[in-house]
Amino acid sequence: MKVLIVEDERSIAYEMEAFLKKAFYLCDLAHTAKQALEKMEENQYSFILLDLGLPDKDGLLLLQEARKNYPDASCIILSARGQLEDRIRGLNLGADDYLPKPFSLLELQSRMQAVIRRKFGLQESSVVIGDFRVDLNKRLVIYNEETEIELSKKEFDLLNYLLLHKNRPITRMQLSEHIWGSFSDDDYDSNYIDVHIKNIRKKLSAWSSVEWLQTVRSVGYKVKI
Amino acid sequence: MKLFTKLTLFITLSKLAIVILFVWLLPVLVNRIAYQYNDYYLKEQKRKVLNVVGKSGIDAYLQGEPSYGSYTMLKEEYISLEPAGKTVPVDTIATLRRVVEGDTLTYRVLSHTFSHHNRNYILEVGKTTATIDEYNQPLQRMALYVLIALMVSTIVIDLVYTRLLLRPLATIIRNRLLNARFPFRETSPPIKTSTTDFRYLDDSLTELMGKVRDAFEKEREFTSNASHELMTPISILQSKTENLMIEEELPEAIQKKILDMMKTLNRLKKIVHSLLLISRIENNQFPRSDSFNIKELVQEVTDELEHRLQEQQLAFHLQLSGKVVLTGLNHDLIFQLVYNLLNNAIRYNKPGGQVIIRENYTPGKPYQLIIGDTGIGIPAHEIGTIFQRFKKVEKNENEGYGLGLSIVHTIATYHDIAIEVSSQPGAGTEFTLSFPLPAPASGYKRFI
Repeated sequence: MKVLIVEDERSIAYEMEAFLKKAFYLCDLAHTAKQALEKMEENQYSFILLDLGLPDKDGLLLLQEARKNYPDASCIILSARGQLEDRIRGLNLGADDYLPKPFSLLELQSRMQAVIRRKFGLQESSVVIGDFRVDLNKRLVIYNEETEIELSKKEFDLLNYLLLHKNRPITRMQLSEHIWGSFSDDDYDSNYIDVHIKNIRKKLSAWSSVEWLQTVRSVGYKVKI
Repeated sequence: MKLFTKLTLFITLSKLAIVILFVWLLPVLVNRIAYQYNDYYLKEQKRKVLNVVGKSGIDAYLQGEPSYGSYTMLKEEYISLEPAGKTVPVDTIATLRRVVEGDTLTYRVLSHTFSHHNRNYILEVGKTTATIDEYNQPLQRMALYVLIALMVSTIVIDLVYTRLLLRPLATIIRNRLLNARFPFRETSPPIKTSTTDFRYLDDSLTELMGKVRDAFEKEREFTSNASHELMTPISILQSKTENLMIEEELPEAIQKKILDMMKTLNRLKKIVHSLLLISRIENNQFPRSDSFNIKELVQEVTDELEHRLQEQQLAFHLQLSGKVVLTGLNHDLIFQLVYNLLNNAIRYNKPGGQVIIRENYTPGKPYQLIIGDTGIGIPAHEIGTIFQRFKKVEKNENEGYGLGLSIVHTIATYHDIAIEVSSQPGAGTEFTLSFPLPAPASGYKRFI
């Protein structure tokens, strides 16, 4: 899947590229609107990650052009102007999502995933892990294709997030930021994430092993496949 | 006491004192004037007698008799002329008793010794004191009436004039102090007055408010710019640490260090976010046009914090009727406000403690939402500073609450919500939010 990263701040662009590469995306970089338009002409992108604060053009204008000429590409706006009006304008102009800076790369990938799922129907709507199948549509975990195991909303979100970023250690802080958004709290060492994980393990291990849900000592958790 | 009241009081009391003094002095004064006039009258009489004696000789009166005496019909006045012998000459005016035809009467008597053809005579002219005093009463009364009339009219004139004079002061107080709202963005035109003192006061206040506004604007601009500028480096650092964290085969010690960096970075991010939020509120970037059921909003906040309530094993009591709909507010900001207060109520509670949200509502009065806890409380000397930015009540293991209450304060000010804090160290804290009445009072309470 090809991604165009339009971001004038090179450091951020490189980090995004490095991160997305590991998730098997192919990335191109553009640091100005001009470069971005050139790249769009040359290649077909599934994703355009667009920073609004470009040196040569308002990102929203670029978005308009991209939507008009390359309607197949999904656009996610990345902006430090995290104001409501900007968000609404961006989404009205056809952006698929809006991520205020500073954002977590994990969150970016999760949003991209969500956009893909929305766009291409829901073919890939379940993930197999161990003896379980996680149904992303029904938000259920199914054991052995017959037993449905119900998780609470937050438990399911946690599991889903860990699955999406499988084989990576995810910190409690990142997990709580994903679940509680901007209302995540400052005392990260509190154990409410652990409580949820414990519940997930308890519910699933009644049916089969959950060794794939690992604790990363002093950091957080990861799903190992 | 208001200046006008003081002036009124002073004017009235001082005039009253003058009236009392005058009433007290009046009989003495009138008496004195009456007697003075009478003495003058007696002297005139004497002069006339002596004139007659000088022209026509003493016999014009004596007509051969040894002495002369004459009095008016009611014995009010008399005149007598007698030989004086060799006595000491007198020339006095005195109040004396005289017997006239068997009646003893008190007279004001002028006695005068003079000589005529080498013989001494004594002349007495007298007038009854009763006659002299006769006009005293009406005179006094008249004087009093005139005085009172004058006093009343001057008081009225004084009050009317004072009122006119002080009117600009009332306008200054109303426009510049009562109606002016921090940060004084709207300025009202200069006050019309010809009194230079008021002109000066008004100009000085306007100038002062301008300075306050400028300082505030500068601070706001700085906060906003600085926060925006900080976002990019924070973004870079965050991406870098996140990429580091997913490096494979990292030793645990390094992982832990990266985690610490992420936490610190996150703290920085939250501070900058909070500062940005405050500057956006102060910049009027949030519309105040939402109406919502306050109980539903509190319920939403509670849902967000459910896990923390459970974690701390706190009993939560939500005592709201659910019938109150608040208007003219920004839903997201009020959410944030309640969230921060409830979050604090949980954070600074004791295990097994309570969090109580209740209301106080009487129609026609401001709606009050009360968030109380049974936590560690706030020492009295710190209550005044809890809303200041970066003011920490006491350093403990919980980090990053330097701005939570500042945000609460900013949101409350933005919506005209009054906050009251009452706290007992060791027993708990209660925050009372008084929401403004829906129809904002069109006028402030009348002044003067």
